Amino acid sequence: METKPKILIIDDEEVVLDSCTQILKGSGYQLKIANDGLRGVELVREYQPDLVFVDLKMPGISGFEVLEKVREIDSTIVTVVITGFATVSSAVDAMKKGAYDFLPKPFTPDEFRMIARRGIERRRLMLETIALRREKELLREQFASIVSHELKAPLGAVQQNLFALDFELEEKLTEEQKAKFGRIKIRIDELLKLINSWLRVISVDINKLKDSFAQVSITKPISNALESVASLAERKNIEIVSSISDQLPPILGDVLSLSEVFVNIMGNSIKYSPDGTKVTLTAEVQGQNLVTTIQDGGIGISPEDLPHIFDGFFRGKSGQAGHGIGLAVAHQIVDAHHGSINVTSELGKGTTFMVSLPLFVNSP
Amino acid sequence: MTKKLLMIDDDPDFVSGIKAILDKGGFEVDVAYNPKDGMTALQTKQYDLLLLDIMMGRGAEGIMIARKLRKDVKLRELPVLIMTGMREQIAFLFPGEPIHPRFVEIDELVEKPVEPKMLLEKVNSLIAAAEAKKAGKK
Ligand SMILES: Nc1ncnc2c1ncn2[C@@H]1O[C@H](COP(=O)(O)OP(=O)(O)OP(=O)(O)O)[C@@H](O)[C@H]1O
Ligand SMILES: [Mg+2]
Repeated sequence: METKPKILIIDDEEVVLDSCTQILKGSGYQLKIANDGLRGVELVREYQPDLVFVDLKMPGISGFEVLEKVREIDSTIVTVVITGFATVSSAVDAMKKGAYDFLPKPFTPDEFRMIARRGIERRRLMLETIALRREKELLREQFASIVSHELKAPLGAVQQNLFALDFELEEKLTEEQKAKFGRIKIRIDELLKLINSWLRVISVDINKLKDSFAQVSITKPISNALESVASLAERKNIEIVSSISDQLPPILGDVLSLSEVFVNIMGNSIKYSPDGTKVTLTAEVQGQNLVTTIQDGGIGISPEDLPHIFDGFFRGKSGQAGHGIGLAVAHQIVDAHHGSINVTSELGKGTTFMVSLPLFVNSP
Repeated sequence: MTKKLLMIDDDPDFVSGIKAILDKGGFEVDVAYNPKDGMTALQTKQYDLLLLDIMMGRGAEGIMIARKLRKDVKLRELPVLIMTGMREQIAFLFPGEPIHPRFVEIDELVEKPVEPKMLLEKVNSLIAAAEAKKAGKK
């Protein structure tokens, strides 16, 4: 059975409290009353009402203060102010401060019942919205784990058995048969990689990233990234010219995820550039930030595409392979560092990415 | 002498794919399909290496086993090859570099699925490392 909605009335006039009690008798609500602000706030804590009626004019702590306290205790509790006709303007003030409605004195039983019903309905909707939002977050997390368990694990088991079969039959297979195995393995490997990148987008946990923040030099993630993209650059005969001084001041961040940022951006610079071109890396202090610039002489990004390149799963029409995830992840990571990424690009000429990260400041 | 390995993993299909490779590689492989049976096997038999799945059951139950191993004076010396399907949870940037989670003294982490050559290499080198360590202690 659903619990009865709880109403609390805070008013210093006994008449008001009595008549409210009378009106709500047998109405399906639970009711508590308080005849001053302090006792009222106490009851809000203990009783956790859905709806609170507060008289604005009371001796002791005022109705406004009560409203504030209620908000602090639980901002989803709905408040309605009770005011005399002469003070409708203060009711408006109260509503600006978060009260949901007002009840002018004197009121008829019907007026009171209607406002109570609306207040309770409001509270129900608020709680529902919050529950839905929570559910959505949970679903997102769950989606990540479903993808890993229901999709990735079986595919991994398939691939493992292919590995085994191929290995067991090594001496018996003809070249052609081996080539078939090879094709299957490559396709499954691509699928696994795709699943991994999906998971990556869903599960960059920004708050967890912050746990591993430390004072680092930008040269660390950059040299990690250079190492990681070196073979790709070599294959395309692209020279990466890096003129980054190791005298630069440190930033506050996480080396591994920042490495990932630079791998993704530099990887793009190489991927979206013709063979034999150059990629240039520089870094300098600009105000309170360290700005690293990655410039390529590649195919460029059209003005229509430019606003979308950081969206998850967005891909330009370059014909290159990819999942449209690299920049989305880079953006999330840089965001977590309170930094920013800027891009300028000209079709057919090249693209420049600027990654700006706040300098490390010694906290006292 | 033939090396004896124990594999703890709750996915029988995956296990068969790993076991076939190890069989052909000349190892003797026991399998436990849940952490409980795995612990029993570890306590009753002598192994040269443990292949451990991290994500079993409702969560990272494999880690519980690693913790128990660490507390056990004898089992502490057993080398462990940790296998995980959760690549996104570890630093996946530098796939070439070995990852040692240090759950126990001698361990290494690989991502599922594992290529035969790499699997045999890791198993052999972990066993060798454990033996070298033992010899050094004597
Ligand atoms: N340096 C660049 N030069 C030209 N186009 C670029 C460059 N960097 C990004 N882009 C465009 O932005 C799009 C999104 O880039 P992003 O790195 O997010 O995805 P991707 O490279 O397509 O795939 P992946 O997830 O494998 O990195 C690309 O598809 C490409 O069209
Ligand atoms: Mg990319």
